[in-house]
Amino acid sequence: MLEEVVLLAVDEKTGGLRSMREFGTAYALVGAVFFDLSLARRIDTGTEEIRIVDRTPTGNATLDRVLAEMAGKPHLTTVRQWIEEIFLRRDDLEGQALASLIRQGILRHELSKRLWIIDVERFPLVNNVPQQHVKVRLAQAILSDAIPDTRDIILVSIAEPCGLLGYILSGVELAARRQRIQTLCNLETISRKVTAAIAGLDANLHHGVTRMM
Amino acid sequence: MIQVTLETREGWQVAVVAGRADAEAADDLESALRTAIDQHPKVAADFRSLDYISSAGLRAVLQAARAARLRGGEFAVCALSDPVRKVFTMSGMHHVLRIYGELPC
Repeated sequence: MLEEVVLLAVDEKTGGLRSMREFGTAYALVGAVFFDLSLARRIDTGTEEIRIVDRTPTGNATLDRVLAEMAGKPHLTTVRQWIEEIFLRRDDLEGQALASLIRQGILRHELSKRLWIIDVERFPLVNNVPQQHVKVRLAQAILSDAIPDTRDIILVSIAEPCGLLGYILSGVELAARRQRIQTLCNLETISRKVTAAIAGLDANLHHGVTRMM
Repeated sequence: MIQVTLETREGWQVAVVAGRADAEAADDLESALRTAIDQHPKVAADFRSLDYISSAGLRAVLQAARAARLRGGEFAVCALSDPVRKVFTMSGMHHVLRIYGELPC
């Protein structure tokens, strides 16, 4: 899921990362890690709590590092606590997913200068098929009334809170399917907590701005 | 630990589910429900003895329901225990599944 979220954020025309430095997408990346661990049957979640069910490494360095960290901090027991904990390492998640996509020949890394000083990183698509595949799956999950595959439910539920669905469907389509999107997002505990974390951050930012005025 | 018993009643295949539907049991639950769906066009999952359901368990139920719809069959979830009803309500499962208070048969 982590690589699929990053892939969705790549602008297919410029290779720029859309919203990647905004907290919404950062929280989505954190959610994606926990979904990956859950789909690998290493963790499980209830309505609030999260627990390790299998400490065996998955073979994915990012997931295994998070899993080891979870095993070492048994006092953190809720999904929300772990989202906030791993949020602190969000840049690592993004970098590792990008590196993996480059290794797989899906993206390439370009470094240039703006105004001769500022480094500008871009990640143009070398192979656009995986990104198209993810977009088609998302569109089908939202526009159809069928029960989607688990991975597609999860993908919708983490693409929505960080605003990535706007790059896949038109505003009219998203408005018409608002209820469907909410239904899919609500099915998963991790997604509900990611959405709550983003809402909490927005509220804090708004509070900070109001106090400054 | 989960137990699934299949019974045929009045045109329905009833899957009586007991125990905990968590990550350890999710594959067994989905497999048992899919077996019922493969064998019968109308399947009701009786959850009155299901004590707990986690996210992995919910996914198993959803994917069984998906399989039933793809086959053009009926899949209903019935008689939720209190703790399971709480999870279903919080997740909005009633928006995607047919949920009955009691068995339809």
